Amino acid sequence: MDNAGKTTILKKFNGEEIDTISPTLGFNIKTLEHRDFKLNIWDVGGQKSLRSYWRNYFESTDGLIWVVDSADHPRLEDCRRELQSLLVEERLAGATLLIFANKQDLPGALTATAIQEALDLDSIQSHHWCIQGCSAYTGENLLAGIDWLLDDISSRVFTAE
Amino acid sequence: MSGSKPRVAPAPAGRGALSRLRGPRGSGDAPAAALPRTEAELLALEPVRPEHVLGLSRVTENYLCRPEDNIYNIDFTKFKIRDLETGTVLFEIAKPSSSEQEDDDNDPGVIDTSAGRFVRYQFTPAFLRLRTVGATVEFTVGDKPVSNFRMIERHYFRDRLLKNFDFDFGFCIPSSRNTCEHIYEFPQLSEDLSKYNFISEFSEAETEKCYWEGKLVLGCFEAPQRGLVAFIGDRMLDQRDSVSAFMSLKGRITRVNRMGFCHCT
Repeated sequence: MDNAGKTTILKKFNGEEIDTISPTLGFNIKTLEHRDFKLNIWDVGGQKSLRSYWRNYFESTDGLIWVVDSADHPRLEDCRRELQSLLVEERLAGATLLIFANKQDLPGALTATAIQEALDLDSIQSHHWCIQGCSAYTGENLLAGIDWLLDDISSRVFTAE
Repeated sequence: MSGSKPRVAPAPAGRGALSRLRGPRGSGDAPAAALPRTEAELLALEPVRPEHVLGLSRVTENYLCRPEDNIYNIDFTKFKIRDLETGTVLFEIAKPSSSEQEDDDNDPGVIDTSAGRFVRYQFTPAFLRLRTVGATVEFTVGDKPVSNFRMIERHYFRDRLLKNFDFDFGFCIPSSRNTCEHIYEFPQLSEDLSKYNFISEFSEAETEKCYWEGKLVLGCFEAPQRGLVAFIGDRMLDQRDSVSAFMSLKGRITRVNRMGFCHCT
C-alpha cells in the first residue's frame, strides 16, 4: 500500500539515493543481475486509486514482495485485507511471497512477529511465504529478504525442471 | 518480480538484419535484397513494426514516425545514467514541467514538434572507466491506458550493434509517471571492433570531452515503441556521419575501452 516504502526499498537495494522519493504514480522497474539471477523488479504504486491496476502486473510473476509500514497501526487491517485479496489471484498462484515489515528504525514500529499476527500470515497455505523485519532507510535486512526470495524461487523452479 | 517480460539480449555481433528479418508477410522465399534493412526501406513500410527496428544495423538519420503518431501522449521526461560502483550520477536530464516551459516560452509562434525527441549526453573522461551502469528513463502516459507497450533501445558503434534492450512493459496506467532502469555491465569491446583505426579518425580532435548523443524515436504503431540510438564524439562531423559513433580525445589514446570509449593521458 502507499507510503509503505516499496520504492525506497527498491532504490536502497540498488544503491540509489533515497532522500527525494515521491509517491509512485505508475511503476518503477529495475532490471539487474544478482547472484547470477536476472531480476526484473516491478514496483507498482500503492495508492488506493492505483490498486485496481495491480492485476495488470500479475502475469509471469515468480515472487511477490509485500511491503508493510510497521508503524502505521491504523491501516494494518486494510493491509491484511489487501494482501489476502491478492493471494486468491489465480495468476499469482505460483508466486513466492516475501513480506517486508518495513520501518523497523521507527520508534513505534511493530515487530515482524506482531505484523505476522496482524496480517494473519499463519493462515496462508497457498504460497511459500516469509516475513522479514527491515528498514529501507538503513538498508537493514533487505538483502536477507531478497536472498530468501531468490532461494525459494530457484528451488521451486529447479524442482519443477 | 517477473520472469518472462524482458527481451534483453546481447548484441548479435557480426549478424546483420538478414538473419532476423522475415520480410513482408507471405514472402518467405523472397531474395534477401528485398528485405527491408535500411532506413529508406524501412520508411517505405506501413507500419514500421518492432521486428523491423530490431533488424536495423545502424542508427537512423531521421525519425521513423511523426510526432502526431504518438496518440497515447507518451512523453519521455527524464534520462539518467549512474555508475553503480561509486554511486555517482553521471548524467541526468529532466524535461521541465509544463508550467516551467510556459514561463520560458518567449516565442509562442514557433513550436518544435520534435522537441523532446532528441537528447544529448555529455560526459567527462570519468565515464570511460565505468564497469556497471544503470540507465534510467522516465516517461509519462496520457489519459488513456496503454496496453502492450514495448520499448526497444539499441546502442550502436559505427555500423555495429553493441547493445539491445527490448522490454515489454505490458500495461501502463493512464496518467502515470513511470521509470525503468536497466543495470548492466558495459560490454567488452570485441576483438574486431578494437581494430578500428581510431587515431586517424580523431586526428582532428580538439577537445577533451566525450559526447554521447542519443536520438529518440518515439512512435505509436500497434504497440508504441521507442528507439534510443547513441553515438559519441566531440562534435558532429557532418550530418551524414552523425549517425555513426565517433570518439576523439585530446592527447594520446592509450587504450580503447568498452563500447569504444578510451582512456587518454
